[in-house]
Amino acid sequence: MKVSLNWLKDYVDLKNIKTKDIVEQLTMSGLEVEEFTDENEVYKDFIIGFVKEKNKHPNADKLSVCTVSTGKEELQVICGAPNVEAGQKVVFAPIGSVIPKGNFKIGKAKIRGVESSGMICSEDELELSDDHTGIMVLDKDLTAGQSITGALLLNDVIMEIAITPNRSDALSHLGVARDLAAMFNAELNLPAINLSESSKKIKDFASIEVKDTENCPRYSAKVVLNVEVKESPEWLKKKLTKIGLRPINNIVDVTNFVMYETGQPLHAFDLDNLGGNKIIVKSTEEVSSFTTLDSKERKLQPGTLMICDGEKPVAVAGVMGGENSEITNSTKNILIESAHFNPSSIRRTARSLGLSTEASYRFERWVDPNGTLYSAERAAQLIAELSGGIIASGSIDVYPDTVKQKEVPLRFARVKKLLGYEIPDEKMVEILKRLGLQVIFESDKEIRFSVPTFRPDLEREVDLIEEIARIYGYNNIPTISKISISLGGRIDHSEFADRIRQYATGLGFYEMINNPLQSEKAAGLIGEKIALLNPQSLDMAYLRTSLIPGALLTVAKNINAGEKNVALFEIGNVFNSRAGSSEIRSFEDFTENQNLIFLLTGKKTEKTWLSDEKFVDFYDLKGAINSILFKISLDNVLNDSYYHGENTIFDFSFDKKVENTVVGSGGKIKKEVLKQFDIQQDVYCFEFNLDSLKSIKTAAKKYAEPLKFPKSIRDFAFVFDKEVEYGEVQRFIKKSGYGLLKEVSLFDLFESEALGENKKSMAFTLEYYSPDRTLTEEEVEKDFLNLIEAVSKKFNAKLRGK
Amino acid sequence: MSEVNIDNVKAGFEKDILTVKDLRQIEDIRIKYLSRNGLLAKLFDELKNASPDEKPMLGKSLNSLRNEITEKFVSLKSGIESASQKLASKIDLSLPGVERTIGSKHLLTQTLDEIKTIFKGLGFSVFEGPELESDYNNFEALNFPFDHPARDMQDTYFINKDFLLRTHTSPVQIRVMTEQKPPVRVIMPGRVYRNEAVSSRSYCMFHQVEGLYVDTDVTFAELKGTLVSFARLFYGDDFKYRFRPSFFPFTEPSAEMDITCFLCHGEGCKVCKQTGWLEILGCGMVDPNVFKYVNYDPEKYTGYAFGMGIERTAMLKYGIDDIRVFFDNDLRFLKQF
Ligand SMILES: [Zn+2]
Repeated sequence: MKVSLNWLKDYVDLKNIKTKDIVEQLTMSGLEVEEFTDENEVYKDFIIGFVKEKNKHPNADKLSVCTVSTGKEELQVICGAPNVEAGQKVVFAPIGSVIPKGNFKIGKAKIRGVESSGMICSEDELELSDDHTGIMVLDKDLTAGQSITGALLLNDVIMEIAITPNRSDALSHLGVARDLAAMFNAELNLPAINLSESSKKIKDFASIEVKDTENCPRYSAKVVLNVEVKESPEWLKKKLTKIGLRPINNIVDVTNFVMYETGQPLHAFDLDNLGGNKIIVKSTEEVSSFTTLDSKERKLQPGTLMICDGEKPVAVAGVMGGENSEITNSTKNILIESAHFNPSSIRRTARSLGLSTEASYRFERWVDPNGTLYSAERAAQLIAELSGGIIASGSIDVYPDTVKQKEVPLRFARVKKLLGYEIPDEKMVEILKRLGLQVIFESDKEIRFSVPTFRPDLEREVDLIEEIARIYGYNNIPTISKISISLGGRIDHSEFADRIRQYATGLGFYEMINNPLQSEKAAGLIGEKIALLNPQSLDMAYLRTSLIPGALLTVAKNINAGEKNVALFEIGNVFNSRAGSSEIRSFEDFTENQNLIFLLTGKKTEKTWLSDEKFVDFYDLKGAINSILFKISLDNVLNDSYYHGENTIFDFSFDKKVENTVVGSGGKIKKEVLKQFDIQQDVYCFEFNLDSLKSIKTAAKKYAEPLKFPKSIRDFAFVFDKEVEYGEVQRFIKKSGYGLLKEVSLFDLFESEALGENKKSMAFTLEYYSPDRTLTEEEVEKDFLNLIEAVSKKFNAKLRGK
Repeated sequence: MSEVNIDNVKAGFEKDILTVKDLRQIEDIRIKYLSRNGLLAKLFDELKNASPDEKPMLGKSLNSLRNEITEKFVSLKSGIESASQKLASKIDLSLPGVERTIGSKHLLTQTLDEIKTIFKGLGFSVFEGPELESDYNNFEALNFPFDHPARDMQDTYFINKDFLLRTHTSPVQIRVMTEQKPPVRVIMPGRVYRNEAVSSRSYCMFHQVEGLYVDTDVTFAELKGTLVSFARLFYGDDFKYRFRPSFFPFTEPSAEMDITCFLCHGEGCKVCKQTGWLEILGCGMVDPNVFKYVNYDPEKYTGYAFGMGIERTAMLKYGIDDIRVFFDNDLRFLKQF
């Protein structure tokens, strides 16, 4: 909200306080000044200039060469504005001044060959309005050389204050001034109401009926007769333009002015357009339509609170008036509405209309129900003064259930317990009183306050403590340097994932973080996707079901950027609907799992002076996965299953299972899938359900003594039929060997013509050892020979070489 | 077996060593003469068959041959070895080395790790919670009433009227307090979502670390002390900090913590909107209403909570001006950290 410091000074005396301190104190008490413009600073170098002469520029049709008098000297200035004329008083920017728009400094310049020493300014360049049609032409009586800060009253400080949703009371100059009064311990001066009412009684001109008192607890009105609708006086226009509002006419301007003064939104109706001179407040029962002030036809849902006259709706209550009853230049008699509406009702309506106005913004945050009449009278008084109207005597005020002030106790000891610091009792009471609270009971330990109804946020003791703390100043509460904490168990849910991250980086993988919000296509690749109700775009309309699509998008982007050799991993949550639908009613209806993906594509080694280029393959993926599993002690717990072409994602793949439960799978991604992501090179990836991995119980690591006795090594090679798989042979040898055969590994594999068609050679190394003794040659040789026979027989294989 | 055999072996050895140039040939020599199946071993084998008269003589000759060959072999080998070492010292050391790739954690993970390390040092546990949350945990139990303007502070992605993508990590507070009784001292890192237009300053999701401490005598002064201590450890001692009042429905009093601007050091610049300060986190004392939702006695217990954005923190610390770079996963970015 834009706030003018000069305006604030109407209500609180801040004479001896520096602007900088005011701005800082506002921020430090919770009314955060996000930005501010100190006009005294911005306009300090600009002065009134007198255009003494105007001549054509010799080299440019649209430019003029002016002689500008600054009172002290006469300067030659080039001006491009069409409206510059000799004899005008103008705003002159001398050399060295900084133009607010664009923040550029005026220097001596040559424009089309003619020297120019300064600039004549437009309102746009000075950021006074967006009018850039020509230069500002000022009152002829102003004195050349005078600073414009004084001459044009550009001596305000305009602040942009962020008002938090709990502080509806601060959505006005009086509200901000009240906080300043508390901060600087000053008086708050409410404008006095001084009505000169006519003998005509309001009841003879209008009547009000509130049918929905739940959504309209109070409706107050004043009537002003015989007004003349015209332009507002300078002071009022200035007040409004300073805070960014456009003046319209004296009636509308006053209602706006009072809203920014007291926070009470007002609405002025043309009384003669109110059928039956009547106001009826009621909620709609069915869908209807209504044309608002901005000439837009709006569709109203049932239950929308409306202001109606005797015949028709005339305003959407608390949101916007109707076109049919707005103030026009011929308006003579007006009714000023000043009401308190139920915040939820206004919020519902504003949301359903997609229309947030200054009025609805305030009503949905709470407007003081006990302040309606004051604001109506304040507006009536100003309108009468500015329009020559007369105020009908009395007011209409429908207020069946008075909203009472809340009583809130404050225990001094509790303040200390919560803040950890003692603030003098008197100081606390003084702060709360300045904020408008009244003491109704006092003892040594406790004090009871009555809280004004403009502060709905102050309901409990803790709310009062916050008020004390923020006005006293958070920075005045000490920052302690010692803490005591309870000893006890410490838990780290992220520890397992962090270990995996560490191992993955050790293997050369880079971590990526992909957006879990995806397109329908990406999220539809695997699993049961869940849709967002209100997506921002089609690209981000579903939750990811797997980490694969996001990873492929990242690969595609990197390949496009020239990074073709990629080793990536990600740990992130994936979401799947359980029932195959997105009808989610409970946490049972979907799964959210933390997954882990590894991805490899491109080269693993580049061609260098030492090595040839090599591309990653399936075995690189498998090896990396097994290395990680080894580090987390799961290598011997999980078993593999291998698949060829039984999958929509992979050409070939493998699963990692614990018993029969799959905890991860991956392989070489199908070309058709890659094509959807515009990837032309082979991609290998593997995805784990990390939650499942984490839940597998593993034995604590124990030290194993390094082997003290020598190993006996034997090698053999066989010619097998091509379809015989390594894994099967390896398992068979291991199972068939006697207890001291500890390792079986493949050291050579090849096919050749010499071996015959559909044959291959696999060569194995066998390691025999015991932790307790040296093995004898005889026992090893015996087992070895047995194995040769067993393998030959089992696989119909032929021993090679020996 | 005769002296002749011995002489032949000797002559052969003398001849062979003349042509030895490298370690491989040295090894050949060793195998030929000195190994288990070498010529010397053969001669010793044959010695067994010699007549008792000849045996002492031949034995003596054979022993002296073995000593001579061994000695010459050793000296030849060490000569060749030192020569080849000299040669080795002449290799082109300026050729490029063979590098090994160490990957890296994402910069956001690294930043979070730093934050976690500090808070774990201050005795905090680490808890996580789901991203697809109930409206109850995300809003209601955190004192955001339905239909309240406070909900406008956080643009929300809904799944339906009861479920949503969490807009902050604060629902984990509710989960932790529902699960356990005080004292509770935890940080809760995680991903959160906001339905905001994607730009250099905002993304549809980001990461937060939430903190919560509930016990019998937790005070606002302690909150300040703890967070200033964290900030000094994380950002260093060259900064000033301040706390200013703010509003969060689930804390009362509420505050935001600012740090002096990195760019202008408090002078005022475009980045800090001329204020000289940058906001780094939100915090406050746990609102008694929240305690009621989780059945903690608000008279007995007090607590503080805080939350900070990890992206924002990393952007400040590393001078990143576009939040989207975190989620583009461009390797040229990932490899920098
Ligand atoms: Zn700055």
